[in-house]
Amino acid sequence: MTANPRLLDALGLAIVAAPLFLLGSFFAAFLVNRRLSEPATGRLVQASVVTALLAALAAAVVMFRAGIAQHAIVLGDWIITPSYHLKLAFVLDLLSLAYVILALLLCGIIGAFSTRYLHREPGYSRFFVLFAVFLVGMVTASLSDTVETLFAGWEMVGLSSVLLIAFFQERPSPPRNGLRVWIVYRLCDVSLLLAAILMHEVNGGGDFDHLVGQSAWPAHDPLPVSPHFTLLGVLFVIAAAGKSALVPFSGWLPRAMEGPTPSSAVFYGALSVHLGAFLLLRISPVLDSSVWLSAFVVVIGLTTSAFAYVVGRVQTDIKSALAFASLTQVGLIIAEIGLGFRYLALLHLLGHACLRTLQFLRAPSLLHDHHQLENAIGSRPRDEAVHWEQRLPLPIQRALYRLALERGYLDSLMERYFARPFVAFFRALDRHEERLADTIDGAGSKPAPARSAPPAPL
Amino acid sequence: MQAPRHEPSAQPANRQDLVHLAEAIHHAAHLLPAQGPIGVFIHHNTLHAFEHQTFDEAVRHGSMVFGSEPYLSEDQYREELSRGRILFSELRAVLERDLGTRGSEKIAGLSHRLDLRLAMLQYPLHDGQGPELDWVMAETGALRTLRNDVSLVQRRRLVTEARHWALRRLRGSLPGVDRPSWIEGLFGRFQDERVEDWSDERWEAFTVGALWESCCDGVRMTGQPPSTAPLRLRARDWLDAGGAMDPDLLVHDVLIRFCAAFLDQGIAHWAMPERDRGFYHAFCELHRRGGAATAWWLTDLPDHTARLQDGQVSALACIQESLTDLGVAPAQIPDYLAATLLALRGWAGMMWHVEQRADRVHHAVPSGSLIDFLAVRLLLERLALKAVARESFGYDGPLAGLPGFLATRSTDVTLESWKPRAHVVFQLAQLLGWPPEQLAQLNAAQWRILFHEVESFGALNRRRLFHLAYEHRFRVRTLEALAARAGKSSKPTGRPSFQAVFCIDEREESIRRHVEETAPTSETFGAAGFFGVVMYYRGAAAADFVPLCPVVVRPKHWVSETVDRRLQDEDQRRRRTRRSLGMALQGFHGGSRRIVSGAFLSAAVGLLATVPLVARVVFPRLTARFRGYFGNFIAPPPVTRLNLERKTPESSPQEGAHGFLPTEMVDIGERLLRDIGMTHTFARVVLVFGHGSTSMNNPHESAHDCGACGGGVGGPNARAIAEILNDPRVRNALAERDIDIPTDTVFVGGLHNTANDDLTFFDIDRVPGSHQFEFEVAQKSVQEAAIRNAHERARRFGSAPLGLSPIAAKRHMEGRSEDLSQVRPEWGHATNAICIVGRRERTRGLFLDRRAFLVSYDPMQDDASNVVLARILGAVIPVCSGINLEYYFSRVDSPGWGSGSKLPHNVTGLLGVMDGAMSDLRTGLPWQMVEIHEPVRLLFVIETTRAAFTAIMEKNPAIKTMVTHGWVQVAVMDPKTQALRVYQEGVWEPFLTTAGPLPVAASSREWYAGWRDHLEFAEILAATPQNA
Repeated sequence: MTANPRLLDALGLAIVAAPLFLLGSFFAAFLVNRRLSEPATGRLVQASVVTALLAALAAAVVMFRAGIAQHAIVLGDWIITPSYHLKLAFVLDLLSLAYVILALLLCGIIGAFSTRYLHREPGYSRFFVLFAVFLVGMVTASLSDTVETLFAGWEMVGLSSVLLIAFFQERPSPPRNGLRVWIVYRLCDVSLLLAAILMHEVNGGGDFDHLVGQSAWPAHDPLPVSPHFTLLGVLFVIAAAGKSALVPFSGWLPRAMEGPTPSSAVFYGALSVHLGAFLLLRISPVLDSSVWLSAFVVVIGLTTSAFAYVVGRVQTDIKSALAFASLTQVGLIIAEIGLGFRYLALLHLLGHACLRTLQFLRAPSLLHDHHQLENAIGSRPRDEAVHWEQRLPLPIQRALYRLALERGYLDSLMERYFARPFVAFFRALDRHEERLADTIDGAGSKPAPARSAPPAPL
Repeated sequence: MQAPRHEPSAQPANRQDLVHLAEAIHHAAHLLPAQGPIGVFIHHNTLHAFEHQTFDEAVRHGSMVFGSEPYLSEDQYREELSRGRILFSELRAVLERDLGTRGSEKIAGLSHRLDLRLAMLQYPLHDGQGPELDWVMAETGALRTLRNDVSLVQRRRLVTEARHWALRRLRGSLPGVDRPSWIEGLFGRFQDERVEDWSDERWEAFTVGALWESCCDGVRMTGQPPSTAPLRLRARDWLDAGGAMDPDLLVHDVLIRFCAAFLDQGIAHWAMPERDRGFYHAFCELHRRGGAATAWWLTDLPDHTARLQDGQVSALACIQESLTDLGVAPAQIPDYLAATLLALRGWAGMMWHVEQRADRVHHAVPSGSLIDFLAVRLLLERLALKAVARESFGYDGPLAGLPGFLATRSTDVTLESWKPRAHVVFQLAQLLGWPPEQLAQLNAAQWRILFHEVESFGALNRRRLFHLAYEHRFRVRTLEALAARAGKSSKPTGRPSFQAVFCIDEREESIRRHVEETAPTSETFGAAGFFGVVMYYRGAAAADFVPLCPVVVRPKHWVSETVDRRLQDEDQRRRRTRRSLGMALQGFHGGSRRIVSGAFLSAAVGLLATVPLVARVVFPRLTARFRGYFGNFIAPPPVTRLNLERKTPESSPQEGAHGFLPTEMVDIGERLLRDIGMTHTFARVVLVFGHGSTSMNNPHESAHDCGACGGGVGGPNARAIAEILNDPRVRNALAERDIDIPTDTVFVGGLHNTANDDLTFFDIDRVPGSHQFEFEVAQKSVQEAAIRNAHERARRFGSAPLGLSPIAAKRHMEGRSEDLSQVRPEWGHATNAICIVGRRERTRGLFLDRRAFLVSYDPMQDDASNVVLARILGAVIPVCSGINLEYYFSRVDSPGWGSGSKLPHNVTGLLGVMDGAMSDLRTGLPWQMVEIHEPVRLLFVIETTRAAFTAIMEKNPAIKTMVTHGWVQVAVMDPKTQALRVYQEGVWEPFLTTAGPLPVAASSREWYAGWRDHLEFAEILAATPQNA
């Protein structure tokens, strides 16, 4: 049985167009200076997410029945030069459809949840605008067939996530923590950008099928072993590590819990934090080209998992505990990808995202649940059983506990050995420049301008 | 175990000092929030520590200490003034009362003090400073036209007088006129035209200019006002003012994490090692190492902790050392300690609470933990201050010298203070129509008086008066409503069809009204929802005993619920199923956080989570019913009994020693019946309802439960009192005490769920066959009333359309309480404002809009010394005012006194909530609970004589404090004449009503339909028996 490729094109475009329509409506309302009412916003969100979700499901059914494993939708080139091109293209295959269905499903649930949860909140519209940006970014990134398309989606996801972390802008700590996350994102996005440039250098284009050949994911033509690909792989891994909060970038994850509950649920419990794993799945041919690269990925994944597990055990607030529980599994998923278990990793990712979203959404019920468990079991849940940690010698216990409490010192190390020297260096340059300018100006002829106190470091 | 730990071993000479220090810390601890673990939420006056002061003093003092707002903002009050919630005439009356005879004094010959102040209240005066004010003067029309809110008549008069003055006196040649120095300049501004040709606009500009110049002149004449330097107690405040980063940020990052880990009651899977040895010790032990990995500002910490531990320096000695190091003068120590504790008040308060009330938590902490906390905090603070001072100012000297150092290089911008001063008077001159000529003639002394007068009536004072007027309006409306009903009796004649006793809770006001509407021949009563049954209670499916009684009482009896003997096997089986399910669930949640089991669970069953996810978010009510249906298979079998009667003389939590002795039961029963005046004319069926609330995803769930049951669910109390009063032995004994309950009267206990308006009845199987019919009729009436109650409540929720039918409204409420995404499952006590203690016939048929606590009390049955009233008020005044004041403060300043928005709340340590990733522990009520509350002090209307009330007040110091210090408002209603008197600063003033009869509506629904905001009081015909 064959399916009309036009139909698939239409469905694929509908998946992308519906969220874009949502964002466009918000923008249009803003342009004509109309404030959408709460119910109107809610209906718009529901309509567009459901449309996109139905289109994605339909596409999946059509492809499955017709036995099509992969379908590319090329919207055209933006730039073509003799040596490279920038292309806007999407692909429908198992990976992209699975991820986009997950994204739409969870976003739909979160959308429905938030219309009630944020009722009468002054930032209601702002939340849904950011939600729309996130949705567009997520759909774009998951369906992308070229690295430049992926990058566009990736950036939208990053930007909206950070703004949602800083959602409660009247208190000082959300914007501060949002800024931290932003900085980590930027650093890792640089790596993705470099990877994109390198892909163009090597292949003349950012198309993923240049890497994988014509086979459908996860099968691919073997790539030649080349230092280019290894470097490309490393860059992709760094990009993924930032987005998925892998070691050593894990410090931002608990800080991201500043936003309203639904946004933490979907962004850090489910979709955003898995985006790194998705990227690695997408570029898995590159990983396969080098054993060392795969081993690197496995090591990062397992380290993250072990780290998050130990840290998660001492967290005393429910959101941080869940965040680190998430990270434990994300690390493991990354390791599975490194080991080459692509289907397992995908299944693990999908299941984990759903499970964790449910747990995050129920987080404020903790006391209620705890009480019920206590009654059902007839004693306190998790009564002082002796855990493995308590069998360790006391000094090691203390050191490990402190390590976990300080979240692996990742923040303080980063601040002490990276951020502060960085700031100090540029301040020193600034002072030199000023001195130089004074000298040129005719030193001492006028009083030095009063310098205000230096701004607070991060 | 703690005493030796704080023994100062190093410097025994200081021992006395350290004792004083500990006392000072404990004294400062009284300022900390008193909220305990959030699982049992108890409402109390947020400013409990200040109750020895009057309300006004206390809120001012409190707002200074805590940095929160004492009243609503002036803008909010003016908004209320503009929509008629505050009446101008009453504002004036309140002001007159406040000023007394001083109101008629003339200020600098310009205006009466009363008018001056009234203008300052009525009109928002721009109080910008510095560049903002410069901008206003230069860029807006402030120097060209009079203020918009100056009336046309006033405008004309002012301009005419100015014109008169300019043309006849200044330009003319009348001898002996002092020409102000600025007048030439002013004329100069307009010299392009002849004075005779000036347009009206020009004259207005001239007038404004002349006023402004006169005011500036006035300021010049009086000199600078005394400048008030901001209070900077802690060294941190100095750094903050200097523009450096806030050292508290650094300290809190470490301290919050450590406090949470130390106090955790079971969220972390791995508890802090050695936490039983105390906060200080555990901290030092954990922070002895760290080396290269610690935060940049903590590099010296290991040296300090090692030194403290090796030198066996006690926590108190460590505090002393820190205070010395910080250079705190001995006289400043108490304030310094308080300010330091309050910098992280939520956590410090919880530390203090857990230390004090070890019985309320699972993991107690050693005594002395607060001292430990302070020692660690000050140690961290020293390190942070040093690091920040070095970083920002290159300051490396001793910390004691830091404030001095910063003071010398203070970057405080000194704003011009004369301009704002002149500006305020300038605006008042326009509003009150002071002509420029008169202003120009004031001498220095008069200007000084004028400025003093204006400045002494500051924003705080204005807000206080606004608040008084705001309360006044409500008080008058309430008393008018009660006065309008004087002389009418709305008591059903003969034997009522049934009687229903509810809690005094103001949320039960509406359901009582609806019961009376559905069954006009019935009678309702209000009694504190524990119904006199003070007990520790354990349900058939519960693991532990919980106290069900007001917090101030400690129960001496234990009551448990057991499944009927015939169903014991079934119960055991279900218990085992529940246990295994519970274990499985616990294993699942725990497992999902581990590595391997988490991977297995998420890969294998993770996708199944989409089913509950979609179901619970999209169809909350259906999902709940579905779960309830299956839950029934594992719940304890429905036939259960209370172990209410004790055979052993001693009562204890041991099996077999539960319950009350028959004599104790008689006392309990008598007390309840006498309290509510239900001593004769018993109906054949008497229903007693406790209340509780269920909601999802709500850490503050317990705050919606019964306050009289100490934040518990009052169903078991209702069930117990019904059983007690059904007991023939009790009835016989009561008959001997003159309470004759007919043998054909049956009491049935029940539970009202205030979130979804479900009614549950207990022990229905014990209702005799002869009463089946009456019981069913009564049941039908109250069920119908509950549905109508849901409908009345629904009007307050924006997400429930106004056109809902009662059944749909009930479903809406059921959905709400099961909805994970619902942050307002119910409004709780929001809008509470009145407490009426008296016979129901005084309020029956009166629409009180769910705003009144209704306490049944019959003054005719009380004895000469009012024993009954005294014991009712002894409980009701503290409990109700506690609820009311907590709502007041959380509403007036939500982020300050309350816990801000609920949306970022993050449950921590099973103790409370933080904002987002990490913050201070948030106490008080979240904004979503208090949004619709009108912050007014509770108005008690008590059916008694003033003499009786005064006598009770004199005997009960707690009541006396609350009343004389103005924490509550009190009025008494004479039991015979129904004349009202209001307590005002020690005097019982008669309340004279001028209002006509109340508006009348056929039913409550007719009155409230179509309106979401607060409603006026009204007479509901359906609820009055004559109209049945």
